[in-house]
Amino acid sequence: MKKSGKGIGIMFYGTGYGNGYPDVSRAKAKIDHTGRFTIYSGACEVGQGAKTALAQIPAEILGISTKDVIFDHEDTKTTLDAGTCAASRQTYNTGNAMKLTSESLKKILENKAREILNLNKEQTLIFNDHHIYQKADPSKQISFKQIAGSCDLKELEIEEVFQAVTTEMNEETGEGNPYWPYTFGACGVEVEIDTETGGLDITNAILVQDVGRAVNPKLIEGQMDGGFAMAQGYALLEDLNIVKGEIKHHNFTKYLIPTALDAVEVKKIIVEDPESSAPFGAKGIGEPVMIPVAPAILNAIYDAVGVRITEIPVTPEKLLKAIKEVG
Amino acid sequence: MKTINMKINGTERQIEIDENERLLDVIREGFHLTGTKEGCGEGECGVCSVLLDGKLVNACMIMAFQAADREVITIEGVGKDGGLDPIQQAFIDTGAVQCGFCTPGMILSAKALLLKNPTPSKQEIRRGISGNLCRCTGYEKIVEAVALASDRMRNPEQ
Repeated sequence: MKKSGKGIGIMFYGTGYGNGYPDVSRAKAKIDHTGRFTIYSGACEVGQGAKTALAQIPAEILGISTKDVIFDHEDTKTTLDAGTCAASRQTYNTGNAMKLTSESLKKILENKAREILNLNKEQTLIFNDHHIYQKADPSKQISFKQIAGSCDLKELEIEEVFQAVTTEMNEETGEGNPYWPYTFGACGVEVEIDTETGGLDITNAILVQDVGRAVNPKLIEGQMDGGFAMAQGYALLEDLNIVKGEIKHHNFTKYLIPTALDAVEVKKIIVEDPESSAPFGAKGIGEPVMIPVAPAILNAIYDAVGVRITEIPVTPEKLLKAIKEVG
Repeated sequence: MKTINMKINGTERQIEIDENERLLDVIREGFHLTGTKEGCGEGECGVCSVLLDGKLVNACMIMAFQAADREVITIEGVGKDGGLDPIQQAFIDTGAVQCGFCTPGMILSAKALLLKNPTPSKQEIRRGISGNLCRCTGYEKIVEAVALASDRMRNPEQ
């Protein structure tokens, strides 16, 4: 017999290393003699989109197109340490380092422009496509290249560092600030269970993720789809089967991950609630998207067949045994 | 050692092989076409997918001598005249690439599918790429990309 059920899971996630552990990202930036902007940071692109999203931040600040940002990354010879691509920290931590560095360089360029154009601090300046001009009189303008030609290029180089503020938590009282920032999410699923075989289909799925600010919505959707599928495997399929310290399921014949036929179309909702300490409000979501999915699936199983499963993965064998036990 | 002929990405080539080499070894180390990746090495993950006489195979499961006098297409030979294949362009446009390790195999699987069935349904696309594992994307944007490529190949004006 087929039985269906619904379940939800909700979560919050603390970004970064946490508990007062130094969580530092550095970046440096420069304008070269041709007026081009280059920014250096050690953040790694591992497919999550760091190269794109992090380049969007200086582009926004300096009023240039993202494709004109030369982003030198992952090169230990030229870049500064930006910590690991772990703990969903790059968008927030290195994003902040990119922002601080770009803002400092912008300030330098602005001061140079005021000096050369003879404009006082009351005059608003606009940055657009490698040019700076006076808002009230756009004919008063100067290019990055002209500024570079007017001074020692060393003056157009800057380094900044961002460190996340966390403190160790007091285990007795629960006081402290172990992580910053926090990210929130929720998942809902509908499942159909075959009570004869223990087979489970996810028939409907929705994933909602607070991102602070969506720097690049398409990349976020990709992370949400990927996080859901990974969590689906975590909940239903993936078992290392460690026996006396040895991984028995050491290949894809035994360690099953979802295929395109297992994966489901997930309805994705991106919630933007800007985080005040984050670059343009943006927070990392690499890991958070995975967290509420398994609880939602387990709750849906309970709703469908009345059994509380407390160990994952919920393989058909395990589910069938549990259903039989409750009669 | 043995010398065999193989048409690889449109060019007739001669290559010396060890009898115990796999097609994958010859592609990567003989022809230096490193776009084809090795994943599991036992035919489960699909990363090393190539076309052998137009048919999709795992290059880790075919012995090199089995490809003698046959035609092999790898990811390097998918696009025409140095340009991108519509499938490759669609992968870029939909954001179907994350870490990229499964991408060459995925694109060859999609190619084989669209050669056989130019107008697949979403379910047929899922079935077509179900031999290729992806850890990053949850497959959704890959399915979208193949559907988009199918659309564009039929209506090149778009």
